[in-house]
Amino acid sequence: MDKAIVKEIFLLILEVIKAFCEMICKGIKSFFSLIWDRFFGMADVSSIDKAEEQEWGVTGEDTWPTAPKAPSVKHEEPKPQLERKEIIPAPEIPELPDGYGDNRIVLMVRDPEWLFTYWEIRKEVMNNVLNTFGSLAHSAKIVLRVYDVTDIIFDGNNAHKYFTIEIPGGARSWYIHVGEPSRSFCVDIGFLTPNGTFRILSRSNTVRTPRAGISEVIDETWMSIAELYEKINIDAPMGLGISESVFERAHKGLADILKEGVSSSDSPASSPISKK
Amino acid sequence: MEKGYLSLILHAHLPFVRHPEYAEFLEEDWLFEAITETYIPLIDVFDKLIDDGIDFRITMSLTPPLISMLTDPLLQSRYIRYSEKRINLAEKEIERTKHQPDFHRLAQMYHRHFTNARYVFSEKYHRNIVKAFKKFQDMGKLEIITCGATHGYLPLMNSNVNAMRAQVHVAVNHYEKHFGRKPRGIWLPECAYEPGVDKILREMGIRFFITETHGILFASPRPKYGHYAPIFCPSGVAVFGRDMESSKQVWSAKEGYPGDFFYREFYRDVGFDLDYDYVRPYLHGDGKRTNIGIKYYRITGKTDHKEPYSYEKAMDKAAEHAGNFMFNREKHIEYLSTVMDRKPIVVAPYDAELFGHWWFEGPDWINFLFRKIAFDQKTISLITPMEYLEMYPVNQVSTPSLSSWGYKGYHEYWLNESNDWIYRHLHKAAERMVELAKAYSRIHENSLQNRALNQAARELLLAQSSDWAFIMKTGTMLEYAMKRTKEHLFRFTKLYDDIRSNKIDAAWLSDIEDKDNIFPDIDYHVYQ
Repeated sequence: MDKAIVKEIFLLILEVIKAFCEMICKGIKSFFSLIWDRFFGMADVSSIDKAEEQEWGVTGEDTWPTAPKAPSVKHEEPKPQLERKEIIPAPEIPELPDGYGDNRIVLMVRDPEWLFTYWEIRKEVMNNVLNTFGSLAHSAKIVLRVYDVTDIIFDGNNAHKYFTIEIPGGARSWYIHVGEPSRSFCVDIGFLTPNGTFRILSRSNTVRTPRAGISEVIDETWMSIAELYEKINIDAPMGLGISESVFERAHKGLADILKEGVSSSDSPASSPISKK
Repeated sequence: MEKGYLSLILHAHLPFVRHPEYAEFLEEDWLFEAITETYIPLIDVFDKLIDDGIDFRITMSLTPPLISMLTDPLLQSRYIRYSEKRINLAEKEIERTKHQPDFHRLAQMYHRHFTNARYVFSEKYHRNIVKAFKKFQDMGKLEIITCGATHGYLPLMNSNVNAMRAQVHVAVNHYEKHFGRKPRGIWLPECAYEPGVDKILREMGIRFFITETHGILFASPRPKYGHYAPIFCPSGVAVFGRDMESSKQVWSAKEGYPGDFFYREFYRDVGFDLDYDYVRPYLHGDGKRTNIGIKYYRITGKTDHKEPYSYEKAMDKAAEHAGNFMFNREKHIEYLSTVMDRKPIVVAPYDAELFGHWWFEGPDWINFLFRKIAFDQKTISLITPMEYLEMYPVNQVSTPSLSSWGYKGYHEYWLNESNDWIYRHLHKAAERMVELAKAYSRIHENSLQNRALNQAARELLLAQSSDWAFIMKTGTMLEYAMKRTKEHLFRFTKLYDDIRSNKIDAAWLSDIEDKDNIFPDIDYHVYQ
């Protein structure tokens, strides 16, 4: 055979392989953008307008924020760069399942002001609850009810206060702005009818937001750890009452650090895995 | 006598990346780059300090995945191949640049750099550089601390205390196997703490850990000395807080030393700068241009125009910056010592890979800093957290606040729209692992079932690595992080189903045991 033809065929095969690789690459990219869009889409839905509709149950306290802000992710977080260095001819990995057949809602803390929750509700549980509404079933909406359960054993009725977030159909997770550091929260997912009837589908675990400032508690307890790792409590506090000045100095730059985040993730220089 | 202490802590970590199924793999370069540019230069600095009789103290976390890779024969032999290629390219570069003195000198520098790396790696430490670090620890210069088994983000798996405990338990056992004693300290993955984590550390006999500054400052009751002295959690585990001032000087994009115009420019690499056909043999199979590790320019300024790098001038700068860092710590500690009734400790932790990999001159900066501290001043001494605890065994009791060293100081970098989808799967897998460990608590040690259960534990741990969530957020190498998360979860779920239905696929199990071979001695009962 002519050498030129062989070369042509070879190049053609090469092109086909290249195109195939690009297809795989695009597939992964579009899968990611699907997830990305979904979450951004979700964040969009929970916009400020929505949040402002939230009304407080029980007697509202002045300190409780009246209009939780929606996650402001879109403008501050650029789209991830989808450049890749090498096409990995990975064997096909099956997609993760949509669910596990559970009926549960899980609550997580993100920071002093925000919680994250995800859930999975069984169809039959939904239908059972909807059936109890009779003719109102079609107008029932899925909502999250966020309870402040700080320092109580929550029985469903004794929360300090609560608010309700309407969830668009299809959402499976949500960021909740509670705006209150150092408080405990619990979330119910359920149906709410226009006449105010709420029926629970699942109740979450309880979480506590962290403190966002210096502790008001200034009692001092001291401890000594012996070599055997036994605790010995020391009665007399040591030293002089000079901690305030140390503390103030230590605290001076703190606002900056929290704002700028002098950290591995923020620095231009980090471990090799974050290199461009 | 010194008036206070500086505790330098380097967190050395890379996620477990090992792909025997491919002849070569791009992401394995993370390890090879870190060996060449960070770990070996640090070993050289420590060895030379010891040779010169200079006393020093430093603390390093060597994470279990990093130790596992550094002691893995396949990756060790691949590193030799990697370093041979670099030496070969440097030789060509010496020839190519013979009429350009500025570049020629640098080519020679890289040649020395690479040949030295090969020597230290293969001959001096017989391919196992973990032994170098162990040597420094045994000499009392270095305190090696542990980390989560796979750098799992503990507070984001808090729905399952067994899962958190397994991360610590497996890490402690792994440490003991490599260093002949239990770890005394731990670097919590991403510095992420929430009240309660310390109880798990206490169970494992860990004496101290480090939190971000506000972990201590927001602790309750209010710590009398701020973060300039450790506190004891009610569990009795000591906590040291990161000092933000010293962190900023090194880390900060704006004010940090690594941005100096005389330092080496990371982003101008021959992998991108030179003729394609010339560099092609040093690129990966797909032929895409990547960093090769020879970089000829200095940062120069905020401009695309770059001047050739001068090693001598950069060394002058590193010495100057070491002096500046020391001066600031001296002033800081002098002040603190006037308001405290004990010697303050300033804790300065950094990612180890910053030194050498990103900040090429970083290891030299440490070298200069340690020598200056030894000879040029009397205000500060280097110390490890453990030594400080031995000196001051009585400390205030206080519960640190939830915190991490990530962006904004909490969990957001690992829990946001780019990566939150992983948690429902990770939590489910952890729950199932505990279920398996309880249901199959008495299994014959050599049975197939036992192997499957142990492999399930490995797959869960690998899926939990916080690196995947981190990469999903940064957006670079995204597909790889997604692939790894899904792959380990898939393998875990298949093992779960197979164990449950008593249909273990022996051939497939052998295959993934070979691929995900981390923690050969793992015992799934840690999940009980």
